[in-house]
Amino acid sequence: MRKGDSYTLVFAAIVCVACSLTLSVTSALLREKQEEQSELDRRLNIMKAFGVPIRDDSGRKLSVREVNRIFDEHIRDVVLDAATGLVIPDLRANDLSHADIASRARLPLYEWTEGGEPVKFAFPVSGKGLWSTIYGYMALDRDLNTILGVTFYRHGETPGLGGEISTDWFQAQFRGKKILDDGMLQPFEVLKGKVADRYPAGNEHAVDGISGATLTGKGINQFLNRDLQLYEKYFAQIRDN
Amino acid sequence: MADNLKKTVVDPLSENNPITIQILGICSALAVTVKMDTAVVMALALTTVVAGSNVAISMLRRFIPGRIRMIVEVAVISTLVIVADQVLKAYLYDISRQLSVFVGLIITNCIVMGRAEAYALQNPPGLSFLDGLGNGLGYSLILILVASMREILGAGTWLGWRVLPQGYVGNGMALLAPGAFFALGLIIWIQRMMTKKFETE
Repeated sequence: MRKGDSYTLVFAAIVCVACSLTLSVTSALLREKQEEQSELDRRLNIMKAFGVPIRDDSGRKLSVREVNRIFDEHIRDVVLDAATGLVIPDLRANDLSHADIASRARLPLYEWTEGGEPVKFAFPVSGKGLWSTIYGYMALDRDLNTILGVTFYRHGETPGLGGEISTDWFQAQFRGKKILDDGMLQPFEVLKGKVADRYPAGNEHAVDGISGATLTGKGINQFLNRDLQLYEKYFAQIRDN
Repeated sequence: MADNLKKTVVDPLSENNPITIQILGICSALAVTVKMDTAVVMALALTTVVAGSNVAISMLRRFIPGRIRMIVEVAVISTLVIVADQVLKAYLYDISRQLSVFVGLIITNCIVMGRAEAYALQNPPGLSFLDGLGNGLGYSLILILVASMREILGAGTWLGWRVLPQGYVGNGMALLAPGAFFALGLIIWIQRMMTKKFETE
């Protein structure tokens, strides 16, 4: 009986049910905690883009409560209508659905406020690299021209090559670069090779590429510039005021 | 009998180490050993999975139909691995992201499947648990040795603490993939010198 086909089928079915049950229960039990972690990570990345230190003086990571305190105190989010470049009242970034974000019809914008006034701005950037979708944030200083920081926090690029985009040395290069030239949006470029070789006099709109990751760099160029253009509608209005 | 039990756990630490003697599970051993913290978490995850899967397979060993034996093993192993991955995502988010695909790849780690096939199918749960624990620890030992060498030489730190003087310039090669090959090769060499075990024609 044990060797019969029906025994094999029944056994396989039982194993499948037992395994799926285990997985469903685990996933249900841990979901809340996982979402909490990923929300914390999102907040940390926005803070990092703004250039806020995410470690205390002794080099330890800030506690969850501390992160939430800084975030709630200084960071405010609004949603822009991509077509008009105007703020949509009463809508928060967390209200946006994945479809909204993917179609880029509505754009979340994070404002760093001091004394209630927005002084710095951060927004999500994302798009295709070589193998995967890269997610990150970019922050601009109060002149809406100088880049405060860039973070790339989620991607599936080759570790050691394209994966280097999440390292500090790569992201630090963006700090202090400009997005405008003569008041006009200037395409930003992750080069193939080094800035010093291509532009001996320096270049405010380019950073060194990663050797072995030319295509990841090209992907970044494409989506960074596309997203910058989308937000420019809103930024241009603020600059005019 | 007590000797036998001890042998089941201790043997895979050196005499029959899954990485340095059987050369199994190399892929992850090289990939996650840039820093100590990822190596330790990976070692814990693998040890848990291999011990757990050995127990589960061993309890089922009299019931598993021979024809679908391997598929059942893979189903049990992948379930355990996904659970481990979910737990890491919930409690060690940063490290889980650094380990990225490698926790998931424990499913295909030859050590886990190998112990299920070679040991758990023939032995009772208690012994299988010890066997899984021993092999997991054998894997962990090598991971920790390789990661210690790479982190100390490459960054001058160990588990994040600075062990070499501030002015130490990290050896970048230790952090890249070849560094792992050198470290592992050295460990295998030293071990074979000490145990005088050589593969002869």
